[in-house]
Amino acid sequence: MTTRFELDALYIEEGERSSALAARVIAGLPAGVAVRYVADGRVAARPAAGAADPFGAGKRRMIILRRRSPFVMACPAGSSEFACCGYLIAALASNCPMDCGYCFLQEYLADNPGFQIYANYADLFGELDRIGRNAPARAIRVGTGELADSLAFDRLTGISRDLVDYFARREGLLLEFKTKTDEIENLLAIDPRGRTLVSWTLSPARVFTTTEHRTAPPVARIAAACRVLEAGYKVAFHLDPIIAYEGAARDYLALLDDLFDAIDPGRIAFISMGGLRMTPGLRGAARRRFPRDPMLVGEEVMAPDGRMRAFTPLRVGLYEKLRERIKLADANLAAYLCMESPSVHRRVFGAAPPAPHALGARLAGS
Amino acid sequence: MNAERTEAAAIDAAIDAWAAERRLPEAYRARWHALGEGDRAALYNVASALRLRTGQFAAAFDLIEELAVRAGVPPATILAGGEIRRILDGIGSAPGRARELLEALRAMRFPRLKVAAERIAAAVAALGLPAEIRVVLPRELGSDEVRVEISAHGGAQLERLIAAIAGHRAGLGKIAEMVGGAHSDDDEI
Repeated sequence: MTTRFELDALYIEEGERSSALAARVIAGLPAGVAVRYVADGRVAARPAAGAADPFGAGKRRMIILRRRSPFVMACPAGSSEFACCGYLIAALASNCPMDCGYCFLQEYLADNPGFQIYANYADLFGELDRIGRNAPARAIRVGTGELADSLAFDRLTGISRDLVDYFARREGLLLEFKTKTDEIENLLAIDPRGRTLVSWTLSPARVFTTTEHRTAPPVARIAAACRVLEAGYKVAFHLDPIIAYEGAARDYLALLDDLFDAIDPGRIAFISMGGLRMTPGLRGAARRRFPRDPMLVGEEVMAPDGRMRAFTPLRVGLYEKLRERIKLADANLAAYLCMESPSVHRRVFGAAPPAPHALGARLAGS
Repeated sequence: MNAERTEAAAIDAAIDAWAAERRLPEAYRARWHALGEGDRAALYNVASALRLRTGQFAAAFDLIEELAVRAGVPPATILAGGEIRRILDGIGSAPGRARELLEALRAMRFPRLKVAAERIAAAVAALGLPAEIRVVLPRELGSDEVRVEISAHGGAQLERLIAAIAGHRAGLGKIAEMVGGAHSDDDEI
């Protein structure tokens, strides 16, 4: 495993002191990490007063607490203005020990940056049972990697084992772990029975080096994908964000070639693509935290949705090149765009985007 | 050593005086002071030589910093580049050269956008549409929406202009495709 994360402190909400999650984390906690008990974990998640980088400090403060709201929600990237994949989010954690310069959490979690993990995560299963009962004929894809990395710190929390076990017994539901780690040891010990997909965000080495701090190198992510594939998991990849720096097309195409050399494209469930997009607020936050990051100062302009994106011909040209390479590798390999308009979708794929539930069902069943 | 310190102090004092006179926001003044000594001085020379207004200075500062980050060089290196030097050493009026500086910095900051926008503008011009027909491209090519505007006075003129548009159907379609990403030059990507 190449990813090793560090913590300054562990906070445990009093009410979760005897939870199984707290016990597992304490048992695996490195020496020297202070353990503190607090009445309300949400208070500990707030920005540290006086910290030069409150968001960065929050990543080093793990908080085990009870989630007070439902776990399942619609993907925050979903919107009527975008072609959408009908993804459901299971919010089991919030924030991430890795630190990517472009990460939207820098803005999204600015007011509660503590790295929160919810001790009552098993309540998710009741919510999923209800969803499954209400839509018995629908194939549903549920991911845990939107507000956190799905597998970062899994060696401590062990949450993946319970999730894979639950989904292995449910028809019509597909679990997606989305990660930039190679923390897969827990997964290798369980049989997912085809109901769990592990997806990796992939970036060229140049983006990894400058921008994806404390993540596993791309080559390690692909190697981890090979291992979980052999262990019975489905695998998928997200080229997201695609950053349109000079030479990007060459690097992203080489990345795809490396991927297809390592994994038969016929065994990849899908590949998603999404260009770098940042609200002005996110861009400001990212530039303040990473003032020397060249990937944050590309040729992004204001798009109609209020986000800074690479100007349209540049972005669409990149998508088209990558789409062609994917198609060349395997014409049946599913690909889709994340947070792009239907018109961009038509340009890249030559057809209108499918309805969210149709695409979602296809990806869930792939 | 003392002479160097004196010179640095003099530059800092000049920066503060310039910032006070122009009511430069404190965040920009602090960023300016946070630069290396050579960078601080180079930026001051530009600001004073071209008599930049506050908004122009802020825009130029942002562009210079971002260019420097992307190229991995100090801001002074950006300001020492041929095109920028030519503007600084030019003989035009200070306000004219200030505008020229911002245009040059922006072209350097968005080089592929400049190429794409020029290529599309040339394709629009080559259509030779009547002056009453205007092809409105999306600002900074930020979307794929193309608007065609007609200004007509009376039914006869409107009919004539609509016919002109119909006659340029293929050419206008090609423009819309270019804005949407077709016919991109590989060098842009």
